[in-house]
Amino acid sequence: MTRTLLTILLCPLLAAALIALFGRSRGRLSAGISILSAAAQMALTLRLLFGGWDGLPFSDSIRWMTLGSLNLDMGFYFNDMSALLLMVVTVVGFLIHVFAFGYSDHDKCRGRFFGGLSLFMFSMTGIVVSGNLFMMFVFWELVGFCSYMLIGHYLSAEASSAAKKAFIVNRVGDFGFLIGIIWCFWQFGTVNLADLPAAMSASPAAAGTLTAIGLLLFCGVLGKSAQMPLHVWLPDAMAGPTPVSALIHAATMVAAGVYLLGRVQFIFTPDALNVILAVGLVTALYSAICAFGQTDIKKILAYSTLSQLGFMVSAFALVGGMEGAASSQFHLTTHAFFKALLFLGAGSVIHASHHEQDIYKMGGLWKKMPLTFATFLVATLAIAGLPYLSGFFSKDAILLLAWHNSPAAFYTLVFASLLTATYMGRIIFVAFLGKPRSEAAEHAHESRIDMVLPLLVLAVMAVLGGYTGLYPEALSHYLHQHVPHAEGSEHTMILLISAALSLGGMLIAFLLYYRPDAKADTVQRRLPALFALLKGKLWFDELYLFYVNGIQQRLANVAAFLEQVLIQGFCVRGSGGVSGLIGVALRRAHTGRLNTYLYWFAAGVLIFWIYSSGVL
Amino acid sequence: MEGFTCPFSLTYSALLFWTVAVPLAASLPLLLGCLKGTPARLLAALGAMLPLLGALYLAAHYAGAYTVGGYAFYCNAQLGLPAAGIALKLGLNGISLPMFVMAAIVSFCAVLYAIGGRQERQSLYLGLLLVMSSGVLGLFASIDLFYFYFFHELALIPTFIMIGIWGGKARRVAAIEMTIYLTLGAMLVLAGLVALYVLSGLNTFDFITLRQAIAQNPLGEGSQHWIYGLLLIGFGILVSLFPFHTWAPRGYANAPASAAMLHAGVLKKFGLYGLIQLIAPLLPVGAASWTGLLVVLALCNVLVIGLITMAQKDLRYMLGYSSVMHMGYAFLGIATMGTLGLGAALMMMFAHGLAVAALFLMADCVAVRNSGETDMASIGGMVKHTPVFAAFFAAATFASAGLPGFANFWGELGIFTAVFKMNSTVSALAILGIIISAIYGLRALAAIFYGPHSKAYEQRIAQYGAPADLQPYEKLPVMILLGALMFAGFWPRAVSEPVNAELSSRQPAVAVQTANAAE
Repeated sequence: MTRTLLTILLCPLLAAALIALFGRSRGRLSAGISILSAAAQMALTLRLLFGGWDGLPFSDSIRWMTLGSLNLDMGFYFNDMSALLLMVVTVVGFLIHVFAFGYSDHDKCRGRFFGGLSLFMFSMTGIVVSGNLFMMFVFWELVGFCSYMLIGHYLSAEASSAAKKAFIVNRVGDFGFLIGIIWCFWQFGTVNLADLPAAMSASPAAAGTLTAIGLLLFCGVLGKSAQMPLHVWLPDAMAGPTPVSALIHAATMVAAGVYLLGRVQFIFTPDALNVILAVGLVTALYSAICAFGQTDIKKILAYSTLSQLGFMVSAFALVGGMEGAASSQFHLTTHAFFKALLFLGAGSVIHASHHEQDIYKMGGLWKKMPLTFATFLVATLAIAGLPYLSGFFSKDAILLLAWHNSPAAFYTLVFASLLTATYMGRIIFVAFLGKPRSEAAEHAHESRIDMVLPLLVLAVMAVLGGYTGLYPEALSHYLHQHVPHAEGSEHTMILLISAALSLGGMLIAFLLYYRPDAKADTVQRRLPALFALLKGKLWFDELYLFYVNGIQQRLANVAAFLEQVLIQGFCVRGSGGVSGLIGVALRRAHTGRLNTYLYWFAAGVLIFWIYSSGVL
Repeated sequence: MEGFTCPFSLTYSALLFWTVAVPLAASLPLLLGCLKGTPARLLAALGAMLPLLGALYLAAHYAGAYTVGGYAFYCNAQLGLPAAGIALKLGLNGISLPMFVMAAIVSFCAVLYAIGGRQERQSLYLGLLLVMSSGVLGLFASIDLFYFYFFHELALIPTFIMIGIWGGKARRVAAIEMTIYLTLGAMLVLAGLVALYVLSGLNTFDFITLRQAIAQNPLGEGSQHWIYGLLLIGFGILVSLFPFHTWAPRGYANAPASAAMLHAGVLKKFGLYGLIQLIAPLLPVGAASWTGLLVVLALCNVLVIGLITMAQKDLRYMLGYSSVMHMGYAFLGIATMGTLGLGAALMMMFAHGLAVAALFLMADCVAVRNSGETDMASIGGMVKHTPVFAAFFAAATFASAGLPGFANFWGELGIFTAVFKMNSTVSALAILGIIISAIYGLRALAAIFYGPHSKAYEQRIAQYGAPADLQPYEKLPVMILLGALMFAGFWPRAVSEPVNAELSSRQPAVAVQTANAAE
């Protein structure tokens, strides 16, 4: 077991190392190595899940470093939850690797691109299997670095500033996360996930302490899973190549935060959960609203990711514990399938129309790219929660939890779901239906077979992903046991609500946005002020810009100025002025010539020698 | 226990002696002007490579080596004044071993870069560098306090001279400021060491004897307080503790690259090393009495200097300030006085030495490619011409910002953990530093390598052609430095094991003293 997990973990690291050493200018070779390692990871994971693992939690670790009372371990803690995410990461990861091969056809820096993807797979797998919080933090940071590297792949000013923003905003989250981990370490004497529950019951902490630790750990989630108010990096991250957006900024890395919540579910007190719930709900609603202000297809999808992450976080926070964790993981899983599919579909469109991303420059694509359109439609219906597709089952569970636990959360999520269906419908009606609005859209053509194949596989998963019976036994058992199911009249109610929301949202989108010839957004034409507000993301970027330039940088400049004036000018120079004579003498002494210094040194040594040998 | 070690015997002790002595010996023909051109460069290469091989060989044979008073490879060359209790005694323990290896690596890289760099009056330049490297190797290997100080001075004086001769625009001011500051600091340290010598009444500078005697019979609380204070300020000046730091950024910005690498990377660690290795076990009560002030000053290093670093527009000043900022972490670790804090501070010093050397080297590479310009706003988009350079620069920047996979991360993590135990608020404030160092590091990376070219840069391309990517003599030292950082990043035990063994063996003695003093 240890060996299998170690192989799954190290495979992509080896690939990344090989690419770094030999593949920089050999694009195809690098791609081959990288795809091979992803395939190996998937194969090993599937073998593990279909029979190689008894379904019981497994942990193993070795001592990595000891300093005084700090014992750092590296090890695995593998349970049903990590099995689920490992499956998602390796399967979706492999499909996206295949897609990326075609997508990066003309990329001169293909080696660096695939090297980054492999390094990412290593880091992400590390988060999934980590046995303790320190180790998780290590991979957490590495994932952030990979994200930086891949967002900035195109090296333009926009890409590099988006990459920088992503890393720094994540660091803000990690600031709290790290404090939380260290606090946890000193409070309970361990950060091993397998030992923490026992340690917590052996020496119970005060409720306030526990709430604080929980919220500090949640800071990490704020950063990585882009929850309010640290959500600002994710839409900008779309400057990266589309397969990267699919893999990292939609399906897997951003889910790491939600995974962390589940990993340490036992630590959250009801107070902490309330705060987390509020954050999740606000994020879900805010992002769904912002999606209407975007015309870039990837940005719309980015806001939809944010909104869905808000759903997952809320799902966890509604009840916490195993039930909350499983519900959020379930939605994470289905979301990974359909969101990866949506992004790859968008990538296919972007690739076909020569990097056009504005949906108001597309249109009529369904005729030119039927397979892409069909799969995109499936994913759209899945995310909208149309009954009996994957998104329906997982969203269903979340709505049910909300219905039982918090009416406010229920109505917020219902409204956000309606918005989801509407903005997704908007993409379909504007980009795929209607008439071509630009040259690029006119001449678009279906993507190559190796790019379409992953779409088809993902489409199957987006349809069937909700049927837990199809999962490997350990996973279906896990989901079946912990995810709530509606029974009887509740079942009917939830089914009706879901159907109404998804179909209603699509209908609104049709009525509002289906204008075959329109060159601009309907809201933009009718209510320009409202659209500008939405497009400006409700001033969030301005707020951050003001903080960075107006406060942080100004403070830095003031500090630098004061340092120059007070310490450098006043104290140092001032004392030099007071002892002017010494200064003159010193300037004489320090002529910058070798022998003068040597004389001084020799004289000093001599005096000391005389003293120490007892002459004086 | 103190037999004479013949330097010509085939023993580890003799190897240690020669590891320290070879660069000094190699420097003589260069300084005297006997050799010029290629022979000079060959000699310099040899004079830097042999110590590196020696240091690595010793490190490989450290485990299980015969020890005298806790020091492996003990060597008494009896150079000194026995009447004054001075003798050249060398040896390595768990604390000095990593620093010694780091010094050898950085020395080698600095000399390598200087050999390829073709400075004016190159043989003099190389000779001075070799003197510096002998100095830094010697100070970490010294058991005798006098020689500990002597080797520091031996390395310090060439630094001043190199800044004065080969320095940048403000070299005169920088050299004078640095000389005054560092001489003052060194004098305070000397005063402290002499006070120890006198108060112990043992008439010896031998650290092993001093430590044993003082463990039996600790110094009084008052003298501990004042000696530690003296040493703290003296060492503090040398390590650029806030507010005695102003010499550092200007000095480094104007120093020639190799001198900046050796000084910022290695020599500056003298003070921290002295506090951890020598002073912590001798003056535990004195150390405890200064903790509050030290913590405040160290936090200023992290936060105030961190802010100032963000305001810098010139790459070399930024690196200078960032190096000052990171010293704050090391001081925080030292302030905790526990095994974890001290050990983590050592890991941080080990890593910082390598990382900052790589960064100063590459800052010079930036300058070479931009007609001496390191103003970040006047570059931009260099990655198009120098992709490998960009990758290495990014790696060193992330290392310095504490990315896991590089050794710096473990040092920072250990320090934060140790400080949290002492005071959680202080720790939280210090952890803010991980955001600050990401901000200025990535900002520099973006300004220099990404985005569009600046106008000034385009003019330079038009005039001189596009800059070349890293040359072998630039690439090799950077690869060695980053390789060492990654080795210790993936296998932190290589550093932490000897450090932890040494510090935890010392812990009971300190506890006894503290208990004695408390009574």
